[in-house]
Amino acid sequence: MSARASTGSRPGGQGRFAQFKLVLLGESAVGKSSLVLRFVKDQFDDYRESTIGAAFLTQTIALDDHTTVKFEIWDTAGQERYKSLAPMYYRNANCAVVVYDITQASSLDKAKAWVKELQRQANENIIIALAGNKLDLVTEHPDKRVVSTVDAEAYAREAGLLFFETSAKTAENVRELFTAIARKLPLEQAGARNLRSNPRPGVDLRPEAPGTQGAGACNC
Amino acid sequence: MSSRPQRPSSPGPEIRATPGAFPSTPAEDNSPTISSHYSLSQAVHARRAEFTKSRTIRVKVGTWNVAALSDTEKDVGGWFIGGKGVSDKLSGLRVTDEDDPKKDEHGNTLDLKDIESVAHQEARRTKKVSSLPRHDPGSLPGGDDIDIYVLGLQEIVDINSPTEALRPFVDPHPAKKWKRAVIEALPDGYCRIADQQLIGLLLLVYASPAIAPTITSVSSTSVGTGLMGYMGNKGAVTTRIVLGETTRLVFINCHLAAGTDKNMVDRRNWDAQQILNRTKFEPVYDGSGVLEEFGPGIGDEDFAFWFGDLNYRLDSLPADDVRRLLMLHTRNEYDSGVLSSKKIESELSKLPNATISGSNHRSSEDSGFSSNTAFTSSSEQSSVTLPVDPHSDPASLQTTLSSLLPHDQLHMQMRARKAFHDGWREGPINFLPTYKYDVGSVGMFDSSEKRRGPSWCDRILYRTRKDVLDYERKVREEDKAKKRDEELQARGVAKAIADDEDVLFDYDPETDGAENDYDENLDADPGVVVTKLGYEDRLHLDYYTSHQRVLSSDHKPLDAVFTLTYDAVDTDLKAQIHQEVARELDKAENEGRPGVTIVVDHHSPDHDGSTNDDPTSASFEGVNFGHVRYDQPKTRGITIANTGRVPATFGFVDRPSGEHQNGASPPWLSIEFDRPSNNQNSNANALQEYTLPPGDALTVDLTLRITSISQVRLLNDSSQPHLEDVLVLRVTNGRDHFIPIRATWLPSSFGRSIDKLIRIPEGGVRKLQHQRPHGSSGGSSTPVKWSAPREVFRLTEAIEELVERAAAEWGMRGEGGDEKPPWEEGLGWPFVEGGWRWEPGKEREGLKMRVREALDTDQAFDTTWTPDVPALWRLEVLAETLLEFLTSLEDGVVPEHLWAGLEAAIIEREKTKSTLSADEERAVILDSLASSPPHSVAFTFLTFMLARVANEVAPLASEPRKSHPKATGRARARTRSHDPARLRRRQVEQSLAALFAGVVVRAPMVGGRERERRASEGRRMRVVEVFLVGKGVG
Ligand SMILES: Nc1nc2c(ncn2[C@@H]2O[C@H](COP(=O)(O)OP(=O)(O)OP(=O)(O)O)[C@@H](O)[C@H]2O)c(=O)[nH]1
Ligand SMILES: [Mg+2]
Repeated sequence: MSARASTGSRPGGQGRFAQFKLVLLGESAVGKSSLVLRFVKDQFDDYRESTIGAAFLTQTIALDDHTTVKFEIWDTAGQERYKSLAPMYYRNANCAVVVYDITQASSLDKAKAWVKELQRQANENIIIALAGNKLDLVTEHPDKRVVSTVDAEAYAREAGLLFFETSAKTAENVRELFTAIARKLPLEQAGARNLRSNPRPGVDLRPEAPGTQGAGACNC
Repeated sequence: MSSRPQRPSSPGPEIRATPGAFPSTPAEDNSPTISSHYSLSQAVHARRAEFTKSRTIRVKVGTWNVAALSDTEKDVGGWFIGGKGVSDKLSGLRVTDEDDPKKDEHGNTLDLKDIESVAHQEARRTKKVSSLPRHDPGSLPGGDDIDIYVLGLQEIVDINSPTEALRPFVDPHPAKKWKRAVIEALPDGYCRIADQQLIGLLLLVYASPAIAPTITSVSSTSVGTGLMGYMGNKGAVTTRIVLGETTRLVFINCHLAAGTDKNMVDRRNWDAQQILNRTKFEPVYDGSGVLEEFGPGIGDEDFAFWFGDLNYRLDSLPADDVRRLLMLHTRNEYDSGVLSSKKIESELSKLPNATISGSNHRSSEDSGFSSNTAFTSSSEQSSVTLPVDPHSDPASLQTTLSSLLPHDQLHMQMRARKAFHDGWREGPINFLPTYKYDVGSVGMFDSSEKRRGPSWCDRILYRTRKDVLDYERKVREEDKAKKRDEELQARGVAKAIADDEDVLFDYDPETDGAENDYDENLDADPGVVVTKLGYEDRLHLDYYTSHQRVLSSDHKPLDAVFTLTYDAVDTDLKAQIHQEVARELDKAENEGRPGVTIVVDHHSPDHDGSTNDDPTSASFEGVNFGHVRYDQPKTRGITIANTGRVPATFGFVDRPSGEHQNGASPPWLSIEFDRPSNNQNSNANALQEYTLPPGDALTVDLTLRITSISQVRLLNDSSQPHLEDVLVLRVTNGRDHFIPIRATWLPSSFGRSIDKLIRIPEGGVRKLQHQRPHGSSGGSSTPVKWSAPREVFRLTEAIEELVERAAAEWGMRGEGGDEKPPWEEGLGWPFVEGGWRWEPGKEREGLKMRVREALDTDQAFDTTWTPDVPALWRLEVLAETLLEFLTSLEDGVVPEHLWAGLEAAIIEREKTKSTLSADEERAVILDSLASSPPHSVAFTFLTFMLARVANEVAPLASEPRKSHPKATGRARARTRSHDPARLRRRQVEQSLAALFAGVVVRAPMVGGRERERRASEGRRMRVVEVFLVGKGVG
């Protein structure tokens, strides 16, 4: 079977389906819950209550016409006193979004601490994205920015993180953030799972069809 | 040899271990997330009408046995793609549409009259070029009128040659030659979808540029049924494809066993059955996106096409007669003078007057053959009698064919349900047998010595899913009918034996007599076919004919054109709907999650009114216990209400916090629900879960109680007077709620060291305001306030006083009462149970707490009791508190280091064997303790108190004061040992000494021998006892 099979839009089949656990971490009030609310419900609240616990939500995104990724999102409490509970949520996460507020220098330090902890304690293959939130605040008042894009980006590159500056308020880069994570997740390595015989969630991948089955091979 | 279908290269349907549950519970039971992929696919599938569009395509299936002859491939483009080489007259198929004249590639109208004559065609034939007649515009649809071309070839190599059959690898050249020939003839953009070879068998599938991308799940396989039943000189090559994600097609190209022998029919049937049984494809994802369990075979498709050289012959007819009969028709194709013509004529001249009869049960306008109807037709006819005089009506080819067809072995086997009976159908045979001709001739049947009898060896059968189901239903109904008949018979017999009462049988003409249902199958069009995935498709056979004017093989090629109407998935639309459905499902899932609200009850004030003097408590969202003390249980309530729309199941889960503490709560906090848990009977360590219907609520009591002395020490020593923790309430499939717990520690005098206690300022330990009283060892030394811990002094003083009072009060009652004094009920009284007049319990505990509070706040004990608390009770509580206090001491009254010196001194004495008087013994002890005055003083307080207690509860009848005048020293000694008062006194001394030695002296654990351990224990006890003996009352 020749090249055409791999040129993207391969029609037919039911597509791949994968389910991943994602955890949000970061200092209180940087906008973790707001990012999730934007991603899941496409809404924004000017006044959100601080999260006392861990909110659980799911959201499915289609990467292309045959790959579907479902995120099981755990939005954790950022307040310091709940820090010790975070391992409950990142322990088996496939991916993490570490959020800071680009108008709060301390929040980036906190984010870096989380990244360090994740890299030490979480899954070896965890995919981490760094999100500098509240981008909208600096569009009007550039002087409000205290963390420069260049610095954060340099740090993210060095630490091997995906990096986005986002705004939960305007939705800027929010979908892009999650999509980028989905793309980076190991869709290929994970195997197919037959739900009929295995009703357990987890990384679940369902390749459309084994490679040899694809049509579109053409000898002309 | 059969090449097995390949297994899918991906891991397939086996279960993958999930990399751990992520907070494990939400996903573990039947949550919406579990079936999510399944339900997503199902929901998308349910809306398939919105993303499928009806599509109509033409499928051409061709088959040709090329007899390993060279240059046969030069003809394939012409007949198969171009639709050429059909002899209008000999095919009996009026394929040429007079109103729509064909044009050649230059746009010139082609007239059928311009087609090269047979004579000319045969005469000019060379191997270099196509054997097809020139100027043939093609009579069948071809080129880009056809969307899928399926070509089955047999004998592309010599299958009878042992070298070919046993070749360890497939020579790619013959197949390449064919592929090249086909692709050259196909219009631009056509793609090969599949190819499969098994020695001489080659199956090629091509699709138009529009259709090719919609074909998926292509799987090809081979089954050998030849030599030994497995070799590939006979067998089948098969391909399965899925069209437009909805419609499964299977193409089977076979070559069954040859031979005219009667038993070869059975072998052909066996071959066919083997092909059916052994063909297995790779799994396909079904409509709900789930991989099929295991490789599907033939029968799982929606449409199947079975073609090839099936090798069935004309039964029971003399080969020569058939040859001649048929050549009556072919001779008309020739102008006289041509070689073949002459040969034919010469043969025909020998034609005897024999005639061949055919049965007339089929009309000459045959609409095809269906296995579902075939087996209801009349019995075979094998007699060779006349009704048609071939001389009189040679023009009626159809009449001739109809007379031969009843002898067709394939049809006979179908009727007999021995092969191809399960739903297979065939178009009407309006063409001459395709076998066996002289190579290079249009119509000369095998003129070699063998003179093989002409046969319809090459066939194209097809079957829809509906045909299979109809067949299966028919068999079921027949079985039922048969059973009923048997039953009827049995009952009939029974009835005959019984009386002659009428028995009415339930006979339903609607369901009985299943034969009626099958008349509709006479139609060549199978009608609407409901596919495996529930789509409604149609298949129509447009043409079924041979290409008589192909001269390069001894078989004529054969093809059939079908029109297939099916629902194809529009991928863009599907992606859109997929996304919509996913969004809806997410929304439903997220909104359908259970939700609870937790309310902390703030209304339970402390008994001591000291509740929330913590300035931060107002803003605290959790459970605030306010001030807590050592061993003071405090309870706070929380209410959990199901404020969601679905039942909520929840429980407190283990927190990962801390080194020493795991579990759902810290050791100092207990959780009690107002009802039993769902899983109350399960293992106590299991997560206890509770379920509430929407709108319902329950209460949980959280009780904080600090009893562990190490915890007390930690808190006493901490500069942070707060206890903090977080409980995690997990709602299954919902969120986790954190419930912070907080309490403010009130320092306690318990658990400290004597060195620290003597530095506690006046006013008690609370006056410390959470500053740590530093011992002398720690840096800046807090000044020493007391010679010994005030707590010891206060407790011993109060106990002495109360014991004295209690004894006096008892004495006042008069000794005549029946009631024994409490101290006679227990030797350890009042320090331990036994004689206690106040049962242990909540009230007693409360009073103990107030005693401790009086110590810690340096309040007089008098403020602790209400006047109604009897002196005996007070005494018991103080005594118990003293013992607990001594136990809690960090270092002990005789700390390890002091004991080490002391014991060494005692051992030294023991070695000298000199017996010491009690006074001397006491001096040794006090001497040794003197190195640490606070301990020494505390020790003195205690022993003094114990001596007082002993004197009160076991007085020695004031012996020293009123000695008997007559008593001599000896006599006194004798009376002493027999005096019950003395005896009791000894017992009291010993038990008090044992009790206190255990808490006062901190000896290291002695390993070694039992005797040594005992000896050390005895020494410890003696250290206390010696202060109680012989001291007299005062
Ligand atoms: N202007 C602006 N405000 C934002 C943005 N994201 C969040 N906020 C606001 O920041 C505040 C805190 O947001 P949350 O989403 O509750 O923060 P959090 O990280 O979840 O905080 P915790 O739950 O305490 O850990 C809210 O008042 C939001 O409205 C943003 O992108 N732009
Ligand atoms: Mg939050």
